[in-house]
Amino acid sequence: MAKLRKKRISRLSENGILFVDFRDTKLLVRYLNEQGKIIPMRTSGNTVQQQRELSKAIKRARHLALLPYISDIQR
Amino acid sequence: MESLYCTIFIVDVSQNPEEVETVSSRIQQLIEDHGGIIKRNNPWGKQKLAYPIQNKNYGFYVEIEFTANSHLNIPKTIEQEYRINDRVLRYLTYVVTKKELQHREINAAKMKADSKPVPSADESSPKSKIEDAAKSEDESPREEKVEENVDAGKIEDEGSAAIEEKAEEKEEEKKDEQEREQETQESVDVEEGEDVEKEKPQQEEIPEDKKE
Repeated sequence: MAKLRKKRISRLSENGILFVDFRDTKLLVRYLNEQGKIIPMRTSGNTVQQQRELSKAIKRARHLALLPYISDIQR
Repeated sequence: MESLYCTIFIVDVSQNPEEVETVSSRIQQLIEDHGGIIKRNNPWGKQKLAYPIQNKNYGFYVEIEFTANSHLNIPKTIEQEYRINDRVLRYLTYVVTKKELQHREINAAKMKADSKPVPSADESSPKSKIEDAAKSEDESPREEKVEENVDAGKIEDEGSAAIEEKAEEKEEEKKDEQEREQETQESVDVEEGEDVEKEKPQQEEIPEDKKE
């Protein structure tokens, strides 16, 4: 079977402005796996710039206890 | 350079809920004394922390925005105060970028559009439709599997030898599906789906072993 890859339209730069707000935890949670790790670019399909913004936002959110550093519990 | 700063801090309210006012007023005073202008004071309220800090599970979040000249070095003075104050569990101070301001403007516009449903329907509907379509595509395989599992559970309650055969068949089907998905799609949502699948068969297997 030929590998069919869906081109995933990232929701991060919807309005042409690439900014990820660390207050928007609902959005950030999509880019964490169940252990609370950041999902890599190769799986999420983000560009370098998007991933940079995203990881910065996630790290800020973690610092302020909006997101867990480690989690075993399902969302 | 005049710049816009945003500072967020978490106050411990487990012993005395009035601490919030004293701490936030102290910070505001510090900012104004050093020559900053407070633009926005936004208390988020008491929230559950994602992980315990100093054995506390709840904290009161306060957000303050202010403009100041960068020569005044106000973030440094505030953070000194945060460090001294025992009631402050966490703090974050950063310069608000142009991008963030643009983002906020767009969000505010969206909020306005949402509050007026009749004119906004034309603007907001195409995006939401696309999102919905994307979601439905991603979620549809998961939903089917859930239904299967529910059926399997019902049959198990009745209790017969045929169950095990059916369960095996279903497991095989699932394996096939997993393989197909791995080949076709590599995306975030699918990963989540796979995890769910891996766990559910395990739950089914355990009771069967006990019966035997």
